[in-house]
Amino acid sequence: MSDVILQSIVKRYDQTVAVDHVSLSISQGDLVALLGPSGCGKTTTLRMIGGFVDVTEGKVLVGGRDVTALPPARRNMGFGFQNYALFPHMTVAQNVAFGLEMRRVSKAETAARVGQALDRVKLAHLAERLPKQLSGGQQQRVALARALVIEPDVLLLDEPLSNLDAQLRQEMKIEIRELQRSLGITTIFVTHDQDEALSVADRVVVMRQGRIEQDGTPDEVFETPRSHFVAEFMGVTNLLKGQREGDAHFRVASGELITVPPEARGAIGGMAFALRPERIEVAEHSGAAAVNSLEAEIENATYRGHVIDYRVRTPSGLTLVARRPAPALGGPKALGAGNKVRVSWASDAGVLVPL
Amino acid sequence: MTSAAATAPHPSPGSARARRIPPAFGLASPATLFVVLALLGPLALMFRYSLNRFVPGEFMVEALTLENYVKFLGDGFYQEVLFTTLWVSGLSTLLCLLAGFPVAYYLVRQAPPVWKSRLMILIILPLLMGNAVRTAAWMVILGDKGLLAAGMAATGLFSPLKLMYTPAAVVIGLVSVMLPFMIVTLRGILEGIDRNLEDAAESLGASHLMVLWRVVLPLALPGILAGTMLCFILSMNAYATPVLIGGPQFHMMAPEVYQQVAKAMNWPFGSALAFILMAVTLVLTTVANMLIQRRYRRWSE
Amino acid sequence: MHAKWVNRLYATMSAAVVAFILLPLVGIVWVSFFSNRILSFPPEGYTLDWYVRAWGMDVFRDGFVTSVQTAACATLISLGLGVPASLALTRYRFIGRDAIQTLLLAPMIVPGIVGGAALFIAFIELEVLFDHQIAGTLGGLLIAHGLIALPWTVRLVTASLAGTDRSIEEAAASLGASSLTIFRRVTLPSIRPGIVAAALFSFVISFIDLEKSIFLVGAGRTTLQIALVNYLEWNLDSTVAAVATVQIVIIGTLLLASDRYAKLGRAF
Repeated sequence: MSDVILQSIVKRYDQTVAVDHVSLSISQGDLVALLGPSGCGKTTTLRMIGGFVDVTEGKVLVGGRDVTALPPARRNMGFGFQNYALFPHMTVAQNVAFGLEMRRVSKAETAARVGQALDRVKLAHLAERLPKQLSGGQQQRVALARALVIEPDVLLLDEPLSNLDAQLRQEMKIEIRELQRSLGITTIFVTHDQDEALSVADRVVVMRQGRIEQDGTPDEVFETPRSHFVAEFMGVTNLLKGQREGDAHFRVASGELITVPPEARGAIGGMAFALRPERIEVAEHSGAAAVNSLEAEIENATYRGHVIDYRVRTPSGLTLVARRPAPALGGPKALGAGNKVRVSWASDAGVLVPL
Repeated sequence: MTSAAATAPHPSPGSARARRIPPAFGLASPATLFVVLALLGPLALMFRYSLNRFVPGEFMVEALTLENYVKFLGDGFYQEVLFTTLWVSGLSTLLCLLAGFPVAYYLVRQAPPVWKSRLMILIILPLLMGNAVRTAAWMVILGDKGLLAAGMAATGLFSPLKLMYTPAAVVIGLVSVMLPFMIVTLRGILEGIDRNLEDAAESLGASHLMVLWRVVLPLALPGILAGTMLCFILSMNAYATPVLIGGPQFHMMAPEVYQQVAKAMNWPFGSALAFILMAVTLVLTTVANMLIQRRYRRWSE
Repeated sequence: MHAKWVNRLYATMSAAVVAFILLPLVGIVWVSFFSNRILSFPPEGYTLDWYVRAWGMDVFRDGFVTSVQTAACATLISLGLGVPASLALTRYRFIGRDAIQTLLLAPMIVPGIVGGAALFIAFIELEVLFDHQIAGTLGGLLIAHGLIALPWTVRLVTASLAGTDRSIEEAAASLGASSLTIFRRVTLPSIRPGIVAAALFSFVISFIDLEKSIFLVGAGRTTLQIALVNYLEWNLDSTVAAVATVQIVIIGTLLLASDRYAKLGRAF
């Protein structure tokens, strides 16, 4: 178990820069998610930590030791691959034993540790199966057992859940989390799924075009995105472009003046007000105008089971999406296209982000 | 018509139904007939003739005898020929495997993308230059006054090596013929091996040799087997290389078949030689195949 | 990421092996320009005389013409028989399909010398039967060369057909096209690269064949490969090198052309 420090690492291919001066300091026992769209450099970063990709510039330190030039075999890291990369010609037990064999651990100890590792992932009864005889979730567990049995300093996981169906993904999320907690192992995992990152990680690092865009706890990143990109990536569908006016107001490009939280952030240049659809109230009757309330007409209502998404349009042409609970779950009565409504939100419901 | 078109599995609903003969039959039969007449028929005829008797002066006498096969088994000269053919083929195949694997691995895993296709062309072009040209080229290099001899004389360190008309020269020539086949076959199988498996093994602490031995080799076994069999069959049947580079004192099976059938006009014995050659090749490759398949089957199904 | 020396080792070994494969060809091209009367190293000077001399020799000139004729005809036979057969193999399911596929690829597997000997014996028997010469005629050569070229067409064209999307043919059928129209307007254009590659390969395979032709060439009808081998049995001089160089250039050009249509590496 060790802390991991990336000192301004760079990966350059012939023409392109895949990872551009990324610095990160991860404390021992933390579970960190590298989050971003494909091509943002998150997997390359992970593979540089694992030693599969040469570092062009910068250093990777693990537990104070510089491992930048070490081959993967000498880094003592556990790596979980997106497709699990189980050896198809070896049984589950042989797969898990492989790393111990390479470390010349005695036969008896190997057997004991393999048994223990398989117990931990509840697969002891499948020890003699071949990987192709296992389900996706079981394969994932074998891969975890194989990576953990060598008692690595760091666990690296590349999109560990992307090959599983929705329900299994939910289970594995919890399992990975619990496994990581009980072992207290420093873990870095890569994902493109914000939901996954938020629910599993202690800390979320959002990457974009080879750089770190934002780095913080899940709720920091979710509640106070620091850029237009992060806001969008975190599922904020309403990004209203405009200009700040005074301390507490914001002039949307379509003309509306809205009240925003007072703390100014990056007040220079174009801004956008990021407003989550869940934070917008929709009322049928056009009652008295409170703070931040606009007359609008429903253009389109999309039923999504537990919620309904309303796309509304103000007379000035501003389009917003509001998400309300479905009536069955205590939400307001469902409305249809063409209904005149009033939409409103609290002044601290959104944040201002630079464009 | 519309309903038939909708349910017909073929893109040609009309013709599939209208004619009694299925269209596949009409399309495939000329080629099939051609191969049957030009290959299977003659082979069957030759096999029948291998059971005939050769009487000097009378050419071939109708019979049903195994004496040609018995003659082969009892004749020290031909046993020697078969033995030479076997060891030369075995050695050449082994050398091809040893030299071909690194190239195939480099092509698949390491070569810069632009070089991959260029290297492939450089490897395959010589293959299709023809045995006559390639053999002539080796004669130019290995001959008494050839490039190799001249080069060695120029250094002054070695006494000129006599390679021409030696088995070693034949092996060199055969290896150069077969290497491209081996490389192409191995490349095919290596491309199918997930690179992550090698990375996984490395991250678990395996050295590169260990990765090759424990992960790549077992997974590449079918391809190694296919390449090995291909090279072995090719060299068992080599003609131009042994005749031209091996010289008149060097005998392998394929040239003997030619000698007996076309020159000595001893068709029964020549035919028997041809079938012994095919049978030995077939048996050896099948046995090798079975032995290796047994280890490979458990997880390949 | 392997240790650096591992990468370098692979690169070095690959370079050595490729050099070994290419060495003879480079050597013979070089030698074809030597002015030495007797083939030896190092060169005393350079000349193009050997090319003039080679063209002046009947065996090589006639051999070249025969080889080109044979290869061209063998290509037509191979395509004429192979393309329809490939279509049948990929587009229809019928009893014995696998057997027919194996059979059509068999000429590639049966050793050249064995197949050549068998064909030679069969031709002589037919000659006796019909009192008409076959072995040693262009007809006999064409049958043999068509046979060795056929599997290459089947292989390349079936691969090409298997790689095309069936649904576009079905789309054409649903729009009312007849099967002939579908073949002409939809299938053929999409497998054209495969057919071009098959044609070039058939030509080359026929042109360089030695083992089958050796039984079937006649007094006045010798292919270039047989002429080369016959010459090499008694002589080794730069004339052969000149002929070989011409062949290397021709085949190299054809193969580089076909590489554009179907990657050479996939043909084997």
